[in-house]
Amino acid sequence: MTSIYQINSATRIRFARRFLISLSRMRRASTLGPPSDEEIRTRTRRIRIVSYSSMAFAVGSSRAWSRALVLKIRNRARFRGILRNKCLASKKKRVIKRHKVSREMSKTDMLRRLVPGGAGMGICGLLEETAHYMTCLATQVKVMQSIADHYSK
Amino acid sequence: MHPCSREMQGINYVLNPSSQIPLQDLQNQQHQQIQNSPFDPSSSSNDDFLDQMLSSLPSSSWADLKSPWDLNPPTSLNIPINNSSAKPREDETPPSMPENVGFHNFDESVILAAKLRQHQISGGPSPAVAAAAKAMLQQQLMMATRGGGLPQNDVVDGSSFKSPTRGDGSVQALYNNGFGAGSMHGTGQASNQSQQHFHHPQEGSLQAQNFSTPGAGAGMAMNQPQASGSTGGAPAQPRQRVRARRGQATDPHSIAERLRRERIAERMKALQELVPNGNKTDKASMLDEIIDYVKFLQLQVKVLSMSRLGGAAAVAPLVADMSSEGRGGAGGGGDCIQATANGGSLPRTNSNSTQTPSSNDTLTVTEHQVARLMEEDMGSAMQYLQGKGLCLMPISLATAISTTTSHSRNPVLNSNHHSLLHSNGEGPSSPSMSVLTVQSATMGNGRGDASVKDAASVSKP
Repeated sequence: MTSIYQINSATRIRFARRFLISLSRMRRASTLGPPSDEEIRTRTRRIRIVSYSSMAFAVGSSRAWSRALVLKIRNRARFRGILRNKCLASKKKRVIKRHKVSREMSKTDMLRRLVPGGAGMGICGLLEETAHYMTCLATQVKVMQSIADHYSK
Repeated sequence: MHPCSREMQGINYVLNPSSQIPLQDLQNQQHQQIQNSPFDPSSSSNDDFLDQMLSSLPSSSWADLKSPWDLNPPTSLNIPINNSSAKPREDETPPSMPENVGFHNFDESVILAAKLRQHQISGGPSPAVAAAAKAMLQQQLMMATRGGGLPQNDVVDGSSFKSPTRGDGSVQALYNNGFGAGSMHGTGQASNQSQQHFHHPQEGSLQAQNFSTPGAGAGMAMNQPQASGSTGGAPAQPRQRVRARRGQATDPHSIAERLRRERIAERMKALQELVPNGNKTDKASMLDEIIDYVKFLQLQVKVLSMSRLGGAAAVAPLVADMSSEGRGGAGGGGDCIQATANGGSLPRTNSNSTQTPSSNDTLTVTEHQVARLMEEDMGSAMQYLQGKGLCLMPISLATAISTTTSHSRNPVLNSNHHSLLHSNGEGPSSPSMSVLTVQSATMGNGRGDASVKDAASVSKP
């Protein structure tokens, strides 16, 4: 079975385009002047979400992880209010979790958490999705970095 | 002596050299007749069997030929099967018949009987018997063909063989009839008499041959499935795509297991190529590497998204954040920080001039300026800082440094959410200080990645 996890330049271009468009949209909407802490945080988060979503859209529905990611983002956007409460709740959870022994979770479980949509797959599919997801993340990072570099010059 | 197959071919060739088709038609006919004939192999004795076969034969000449055989009961034909070669000679030659015909008759009828036997035997599925029958058949053929034509044997001096007494012509005819391609030359020279005799037994011999071929075919067909059955039935499953190797189970469950394992191994190999430092042979350690790498990539995305804003909010220490599950989102956005690693790239010459502890104003001015720059464009801000010989650092880190080391010169200015630590180039260059760098304008991407990786590895508890 030849599984080549190479991302086409087309995917990369799509991602870059989407990302830039949403960034410009955000920039237009942002408040001028020194942003507060909260604003920075929200903006960071938004940018992160934007990058993930543009990557997922660029990949399309051909991959399970991209589909799951798209669904997650859509659900997030729908329940924004609830999400705020969830943030606080998840903070508490995080604190609690530290007390938990993290070794109870097997490695596959941890991988499932990391890769979007990994909960409903077998090991075989999970590994394949992980490989593709890794390559997509790498291109994402590269593109974002090149954008940042370009604009910093 | 003469191989059986060659003799058979020779017989066919001699008898029907020009037209193969009627032979085949005859074969088919005979074959069908044999199969359609309502004879019951289990019940019929040899006599009935032979009579049935003989009656089913269309040729009238057979009737003529048949007559001498009434004298000799077919059981006697069976006897020569088991006996030595010398004995059958006695039964072969009915005195009343012309030698050629009689001889041919014997030849074909022996073969015929043998084939009938074979059919009878093949009706009951016993491989050993079939094999034995086949062996017997071949033996009979050998004997028949041998007896059929070799005048130069000791057969010749057999008393039963009256053919040699006939004369050269008959011997020649016999020889031609019995034997191979080589004997074709002789047929041309054969007398009309022998040729006429050819016609009579032609059909019979054809039939005999026809019987022989289906019989042989049946025998062969019989033997083959049994042979294949004995090898374990592995080729009998067309469903299997993967043929089990020797010593491995052909159980579909184990095969499915094996396929699954192979698939997983393939995927792991592909992942190994993707992950840097993925030379671990152990699956568990490989999985660890994979998980770490995915976490690292996600962290990089987070940091890069921070850089787009250019805001370094010191809400929580970087180290603590990374030691957690690494879940972004909830309030973790502002944690990641930018600082230049090792300070090696910082121009040290400039730092002294700008470090005026007395003028906090300049610092605040610088700070504001940097803050402003950061709002617009991270790169320019970084450049500005670097021009000044400064770097960014998380507040906690700065406090840690300031407390541990004796840097009293520049207290951490914590007025805004920005934290600037003026390090004069004597800045801490220990590897623990190498934190994330996003603006890799001066550092270079590779270096930046390396430093990020270091941070990732350092943060592990």
